[in-house]
Amino acid sequence: MPLHRLESLSTYYTHFRRRPPAGRRLAVCRDLSCHLAGAEAACERLRAALAERDEAVEIERVSCLGRCEQAPAAALGEQIVRSDRIEDVVRVLDGQSEPVDDRPAADWGEAKLYAGRGQHFSTLRAALDADPAELARVLEEAALRGMGGAAFATGRKWSLVAAEPANPKFVICNADESEPGTFKDREILRDLPHLVLEGMALAGWAIGAERGIVFIRHEYAPERRALERAIADARVDAALGQDVFGRGFHFDVEVFVSPGGYILGEETALLECLEDRRGEPRNKPPFPGTVGLFGQPTLINNVETFVHATGILARGAPWWRGLGEPGHAGHKFISVSGDVERPGVYLVPFGTSIGGLLERCGGMRAGRRLGAIAPGGASSNFLPPDRLDVALDFETLQQAGSMLGSGAVIFLADDHDLLEVGLNVARFFRNESCGKCVPCRVGSEKAVKLVEQAGVLSGKTLARVSELHATLARTSICGLGQVALAPLLSLAEHYPDLMRGE
Amino acid sequence: MIELSIDDRPVRVPEGTTLIDAAQRAGVQIPVLCHDPRLRPVGVCRLCVVDVGERVLAAACVRVCEPGMQVRTSTPEIESHRSTLVDLLMSDQDDPEHDARETTLGDNALLALSRQYERSGEDLPAASPRPADTSSPVIAVDHGACILCDRCIRACDEVQGNDVIGRTGKGHAARIAFDLDQPMGESTCVSCGECAAVCPTGALVDKPVSAPLRPVEQLEHVDSVCPYCGVGCAIRYHVDRAANEIVHAEGRESPGSQERLCVKGRYGWDYAQHPQRLTRPLIRRDGAYPKAALSRDVQGHHDGRRRPGGLVDYDEVMPAFREASWEEALDLVARRLSAIRDTHGSDALAGFGSAKCSNEEAYLFQKLVRAGFGTNNVDHCTRLCHASSVAALLEGIGSAAVTTTYGDVANAEAILVAGSNAAANHPVAASFFKQAHRAGATLIVADPRRGDLANHADHYCRLKPGTDVAFYNSLMQVIIEEDLVDHDYVARHTENYEALRETVARYTPEMAAKICGIEADEIRAVALAFGRAKSAIIFWGMGISQHVYGTNNARSLIALALLTGNIGKPGAGLHPLRGQNNVQGASDSGLIPMVYPDYQSVADPAVREKFERAWGRSLSPDPGLTVVEITAAAHEGRVKGMYIMGENPFLSDPNVNKVRRALANLDFLVVQDIFLTETAEFADVILPASAYVEKLGTYTNTDRRVQVGRPVLRMPGEARPDWEILCDVSTRIGYPMKYTSPEEIFAEFASLTDAYRTFTYANLGDTGRLWPNPDPEHDDGPVVLFSDGFPTPSGRATFVPVDWTAARELPDDDYPIVLNTGRLLEHWHTGSMTRRTRALDALEPEAFVSIHPDDAAELGIAEGDFVRISSRRGRVELRARISQRESRGAVFMPFHFREAAANLLTLDELDPDGKIPEFKFCAVKVEAVSGG
Repeated sequence: MPLHRLESLSTYYTHFRRRPPAGRRLAVCRDLSCHLAGAEAACERLRAALAERDEAVEIERVSCLGRCEQAPAAALGEQIVRSDRIEDVVRVLDGQSEPVDDRPAADWGEAKLYAGRGQHFSTLRAALDADPAELARVLEEAALRGMGGAAFATGRKWSLVAAEPANPKFVICNADESEPGTFKDREILRDLPHLVLEGMALAGWAIGAERGIVFIRHEYAPERRALERAIADARVDAALGQDVFGRGFHFDVEVFVSPGGYILGEETALLECLEDRRGEPRNKPPFPGTVGLFGQPTLINNVETFVHATGILARGAPWWRGLGEPGHAGHKFISVSGDVERPGVYLVPFGTSIGGLLERCGGMRAGRRLGAIAPGGASSNFLPPDRLDVALDFETLQQAGSMLGSGAVIFLADDHDLLEVGLNVARFFRNESCGKCVPCRVGSEKAVKLVEQAGVLSGKTLARVSELHATLARTSICGLGQVALAPLLSLAEHYPDLMRGE
Repeated sequence: MIELSIDDRPVRVPEGTTLIDAAQRAGVQIPVLCHDPRLRPVGVCRLCVVDVGERVLAAACVRVCEPGMQVRTSTPEIESHRSTLVDLLMSDQDDPEHDARETTLGDNALLALSRQYERSGEDLPAASPRPADTSSPVIAVDHGACILCDRCIRACDEVQGNDVIGRTGKGHAARIAFDLDQPMGESTCVSCGECAAVCPTGALVDKPVSAPLRPVEQLEHVDSVCPYCGVGCAIRYHVDRAANEIVHAEGRESPGSQERLCVKGRYGWDYAQHPQRLTRPLIRRDGAYPKAALSRDVQGHHDGRRRPGGLVDYDEVMPAFREASWEEALDLVARRLSAIRDTHGSDALAGFGSAKCSNEEAYLFQKLVRAGFGTNNVDHCTRLCHASSVAALLEGIGSAAVTTTYGDVANAEAILVAGSNAAANHPVAASFFKQAHRAGATLIVADPRRGDLANHADHYCRLKPGTDVAFYNSLMQVIIEEDLVDHDYVARHTENYEALRETVARYTPEMAAKICGIEADEIRAVALAFGRAKSAIIFWGMGISQHVYGTNNARSLIALALLTGNIGKPGAGLHPLRGQNNVQGASDSGLIPMVYPDYQSVADPAVREKFERAWGRSLSPDPGLTVVEITAAAHEGRVKGMYIMGENPFLSDPNVNKVRRALANLDFLVVQDIFLTETAEFADVILPASAYVEKLGTYTNTDRRVQVGRPVLRMPGEARPDWEILCDVSTRIGYPMKYTSPEEIFAEFASLTDAYRTFTYANLGDTGRLWPNPDPEHDDGPVVLFSDGFPTPSGRATFVPVDWTAARELPDDDYPIVLNTGRLLEHWHTGSMTRRTRALDALEPEAFVSIHPDDAAELGIAEGDFVRISSRRGRVELRARISQRESRGAVFMPFHFREAAANLLTLDELDPDGKIPEFKFCAVKVEAVSGG
């Protein structure tokens, strides 16, 4: 292998190191939800406190750990602790850790689908008797859309890949959710892994694939184990492997652990990573459905999409449509974080208002008043507090000037320095830019520096950042660069007075 | 075809055409920085974005045309984004007056856009400074000027296949890196310069070779051919006529080399202006007789230590000569040579021509020796490289040239590279092998030394030295056993198959494994890979030919190709990689003792009559002596006078101690060269000749491509074109020759051949033509030969079965190690050219012996230590380099270095058919020397 490949891969993926760390490594998240919870100050206090320990502890600021409901979050191996609770950190460092694998599953209501393991994969069993083309048709009838953020019509995607003549084909489950504020797939993988696998197998049947890959972020170790247990169970039950349920259909799933980086959630970056290259997004078209993994037609869906697809194929399109609020179809796992009483993952009908969601999670934390809303994770434009009426759905949020994304709602109290909040988001995208294309690599860095140096986002600085955003949005290869500066600018739009005037 | 509209112009293009190419057809230029037509498009700079009516703009370099597309290439919005992108990139650039490209070649593409869009990035915060890297002797690296367009990465990894450059880091901290982020000069970079040639900014820029670089618009350019190896890359020299100096060189488009060059071609041309150039004829002073070596190195008092430049010290040698006028020198040469001829007979004279000279010079030289001297004692260095291959090919298929070109490798399913360190010795050809392998072909490399190409191979077979026949016989045994024989081909186009089958039947993989050291299963795997391929191509080099059984080695490769029907179709064939730029042409021109031009036998009365008529002299019917035989005859006093044009047998021939005695023993030696070579120390007269870059002539590369080399520089002092000198000598010895130009010589030569008959300088054009070529006005010539039979009396090829025989001088207790000799990427033959170039000398200044780490450890040798290598014939001292390239029990020495001449050690035994000496196998002893 050429040496430059070792260099380029080992320096690209955050989870790879060329040398062992000096001591144990405490990964401290500093991204949006954790930033709101005072991650920076907590980190400084932690650094001071741990400096007195005999043992060297390497404190590394990392990008979002996907534990936004425990903000400010830190990870020591698989142990998640709050970085602002020094005594907890010390306890974990001293070896008093909590078991991470045996938390009871939540009750996911209608999404749960089956009463027990005996029923698992019964939808697949039934589908194997039916015309594979029927599966995509039902999904189209239900108008299911991708839950990973792009909201592409799932049934259409399945039928497009099914129509590709090339073989072999692949089914990939994108379990690399890494956007600040997003952690719903984590809960699904942990509690409903068999539904993810069943959805993948159904997709395999629908498109004619025999191989499935779950691409999961390395921070989700307990979830990976839950998934692997489910895979093992499914193989025992003949729901995965050679000759599924004796019907001559071969389909098996393997788990690929991401070497780290938000960009790998971009589906073509994910493919590049699977092909042992730097996970940098490809130019599109061609799309993965036509030219995907190793050049073969590849169906890529989000974790949650596979769960809902299984539900729809089990219970029918009308069931799905009936789950939504009037005028909306289906339900959605929503990650809620920020300054609310009970952050966590909620399964809510599409069409639920943002205010309704806020109520479900207990409202704002005591003594805090709502100042801003990020309804679709760090990449979504901020909305002002008077938009609690907006319904959670793709179109409604788009009309409101933001987006649902993967369904990550972050509620911000009104006492934050919003320019710092905007910069935090911009820095996240700057840090996570793969560097492949010029606008994103250079533009995100220049924009952050411009605002940092000016200390304001108004006047000339605002004009410059707006110019950069216009170019990034229209010329970047992938969504990261296209949205990198949008949330920051949305704050300037809604809160011009809080951008500290020029 | 696909129809679309670009800026309202209807365009029709083939499916798969990119928007940028379609736009170009429509006459629309789209700005771009990361794209180059020779490179795989990546769409990273985004300057070429166009509007196709989608949510985001599309990069025209990667986006493929779709039916009915309405493309806008230059709306106000698009221009504003391009302007912003230029601004972003400019904000990290140094001032133009400090830019390494703008201040030299003046072709910084980003700065051009900066001027066009009037954006300089001045009000954007600058990036943190990035380092410069001046570690490479030929390329200056400035990471600060890099825009990460990835052109260099693709040029290095995908075009040249050198796999040195990649990206390191991520996001705004990303940079290009060499290997594991080493300085370029300490990396595995082979200095081919392809990265600097494609870089659009000041990030990677050639360092000046001899004169400061200037914009090429301020210079004249001359389209010529690289003077080094047989690949014959098309090259463009940018020259300052007034100052008479080459400023810059670059590859140019050609069906063969496709704009590529290697380190020698790109940076190794300043030797012509070295201060040691000979500028006046020299005559040996009376006091310098009896003749002997003049310099300490050539006398044999070498200590292996490199003096500055590693070159001959003219103060040591020049006192033995005096300058003379051309008249005096030519008269002396003519008088002495005529006297020897008239007193001792024609066969007391001999001549060495050179494969570095043009076809015209080679033709004239052999004509001088044959018609003027009256002997066929004329040979050249092909004897030392592919004489055995030629013998086997003529015997087996009736033609000694390649049956297909190196570029045809792109059509091969399997590639066998046998006994060739192609990445070092034919670097540009090797780049095509690597590319074909990357595109899916199976690459098999069989060589005792692990050259760089082996790193790309699917099968690398490290044969024990000297066991090739056993290995290839075994491949054929498996192919026959597994019935992968192309029976139809064998039946229609070959004879003697049964004899081959009988012979190779004994070479089971188990039996061969014991001889060649490759495991039986691997032999089987290689045989299957080769045998099952729909097309398989064989390249070979000196590792096959330079042995006392070199002809047998080549016979087995020929049989392997015939057996599997792999001659006469695309992607298949036999290609002995020619070493010298004109070894094919010099042989075609008759610089061979047994044949006239175009391989017409001197022993054939009809042929002889034809040449006697053409040349107006009666000619000797006796085939002449070959190179090593001539040296032996000189040693014995049978050859008394020699004319050596452009060859340096003192360093290039085996057993130098014997060569020294032979040269000193000559009654008269005239050397025609551009420097005072080691051989010239024994000369009575030295004639200052023209360098490659100073003269006009044709050169025939390894592919049979005949190309015109054009004069770039004026000759220094009184140096003269070689053809004029030959004419003058010939006329003075009583055989008048008169030509007005090389073109006239070419016409005469071509008229006496079949292969060249149709060629003229005019129809050879800028990129030459392949021979044989019935219609050179319109056709590049045939890539694949012998699709329908062979030029043999029966029209069939012949299997010549051979048995493996052991090497002549096997290791023993006294001399326990096998010595292999050869070339380095950076140097050429006896170093007379390359050691006088700034860049190549800086890259590889010194002699060394390469040794396996375990052998080194056993002998107590560390990297850089001085060691003594001795054989039964001589000894040298030089530095050790420890390398996994060598096998255990074998060492390698390059033969370029006069202060530690590898050929002091080698064996002057000959192959009985090809008369090629054994350069690849002799027994030596290796000892650590204290006080290195």
